Amino acid sequence: MLEEEQVAFFLASRLITRGNKGTILLTIMIIAMVFVNLIFLPSIIAGIVVLFNQQNIDYSYGNLVIEPREDELLITRVTELQQKINRIPGVVASTPRYSGAATIVYKGKSTTPLLVAINPDDEKQVLKIHTSIASGDYLNDGDTGQILIGTTLAGNKDQKVDRTPTLGGVEVGKTVEVTFRNGVTRQYRIKGIIASGQFSVDSSAFIPRKELESVLGTTDAANQILVKTGTTGTEDAMRITLMQYGVKERIWTWQDKSADFLKSIVGSFDIINVISTIVSLVIAVVVIFIVLFINTVYRRKQIGILQAIGIDRSIIIKSYIFQALFIFASGTLAGCALLFVLLQYLTASPLVFPGGPVAPVLEPVLLLRAIASLFIVSLIAGFLPSYLTTREDILSAIRG
Amino acid sequence: MIIGSNLAKVYGKGSVEVRALDGVDIRIRKGEFVGITGASGSGKSTLLHLLGLLDRPTTGSLVIDGVEVATLSERERTLFRLNRLGYVFQDYALVPELTAEENIYLPSKVRGMTAKECTRACRDILGLVGLRDRVSFLPGELSGGEQQRVAIARALINNPAIILADEPCANLDTRNSTIILDLIRKLNRELSQTVVMVSHEEWHRNYFDRVIVMQDGKIVPEGEIPGKP
Repeated sequence: MLEEEQVAFFLASRLITRGNKGTILLTIMIIAMVFVNLIFLPSIIAGIVVLFNQQNIDYSYGNLVIEPREDELLITRVTELQQKINRIPGVVASTPRYSGAATIVYKGKSTTPLLVAINPDDEKQVLKIHTSIASGDYLNDGDTGQILIGTTLAGNKDQKVDRTPTLGGVEVGKTVEVTFRNGVTRQYRIKGIIASGQFSVDSSAFIPRKELESVLGTTDAANQILVKTGTTGTEDAMRITLMQYGVKERIWTWQDKSADFLKSIVGSFDIINVISTIVSLVIAVVVIFIVLFINTVYRRKQIGILQAIGIDRSIIIKSYIFQALFIFASGTLAGCALLFVLLQYLTASPLVFPGGPVAPVLEPVLLLRAIASLFIVSLIAGFLPSYLTTREDILSAIRG
Repeated sequence: MIIGSNLAKVYGKGSVEVRALDGVDIRIRKGEFVGITGASGSGKSTLLHLLGLLDRPTTGSLVIDGVEVATLSERERTLFRLNRLGYVFQDYALVPELTAEENIYLPSKVRGMTAKECTRACRDILGLVGLRDRVSFLPGELSGGEQQRVAIARALINNPAIILADEPCANLDTRNSTIILDLIRKLNRELSQTVVMVSHEEWHRNYFDRVIVMQDGKIVPEGEIPGKP
């Protein structure tokens, strides 16, 4: 049996090395392009998902979110709980937050964003909002009468540009009037404007927790504690650890909190991805099939002669499969090289998305899927034309 | 020994039916050099195709070396062609991407020879046809006569009992035709191989032990061959 393969390989190697090199090179190039096409878009999509995930961790949730126990509105004795959490192995830092709606007015323009009361110094340990100050400065724990607002909330002087209610282009140093949900109204000077690329952050306002407690009359309360852990990806295990250390509040991972949003994004991208993959594979099948079919038809007479001199059709079919596999292997290697160059370029000059720069993420499973798909396609494209030609009557094949 | 009885080959159906062979009885002894001649469309190539197992008779029986070949499976026919027949085509039919040696190497390798044995056998057989110095030449680098000699070497490589040649000199000049015919005659004499050759050249008759003349799909009885007493 192995002898058959040896002869088929011998025949295939000679047909490749002494055949039309231009045609083979062109086919290899096409396979390389199809390979890149199979991987490029999914890797960009994977990059976008990674960006969204990182944005959620860095700007909205940290790794874990602790919320009040069931049937309770607030977490009380926050300082004690925070100290307890910070002592748990694997926890890097935590930050309590008190969020609620408030009405902000500037020069007659009014809007009701989410007002988040934070411990500015703790926030720096957990989130990266402090690194995204577009103008002015970040808050300090001791600040009073100062507010931080997102760039979307600040808006533009030309309000036609704004797609949501804004403060009409308010700037750092200006004073806004904030009316809290208990009806208390206070004046705040804008200390800084945030531009994080994360809509939920850029459309919110931030004040120190002490400021809010003085307004609401609450002490040491919060409705969220965000927790940063040493490693990302171990959130489920960390949740159990926190529970084991006696944290009775509800604990969510960042994936839980962003599940709906991510699911809708990933779902939409998956549809694009599936369509793109199917189109790429169909192109690959058609191209490889056409090239090998033309090649086989061109050699129809030769195939007839080989059969006439006693070469079994299985050897002929195998030789064409070997040729197809050579084209597949060379095309895949060329595609890998092309992809490597492309990824290097895009890593150095990432695509800029609203959430930030997106670099393609090459997942091994994606690479394996593309290789496996092209392998199967090549097998079919090598087998089918030679199978059909060798099934033909020998004399008809010889006559061409 | 080749024994064909009542061989018929019919193409098409009904009103467009063409009887390329019509009840041919043929008997060729071992070691004979037989020429098949006849006008174009007389059925000589069809008969050779049946003898070469490239086609199946519509009716009739064909026994080669004691084997009823008309009923063999496709795979058995391929093996029969590989082991017992050598076929020489009119237009040489060499694989253009293979050197002279590699063209010959292929059927011997398929038959199960080791690479070393194949190489030795190929060189020997190329020496026999006078092309020892052309082993690594591609068909395109050889003259028509040289290509046909490579094709003959390929037909001989597995030491077949029967050589079938379909107008092997049709594309050659007289000088090269003589070389080829001398070679086939020599192989027939020295290796005792049965040779059946289709030809329409009158002067080729000198080489044959016997001539079979075909007309309208039938063998012309010996007494009725024109120009023969």
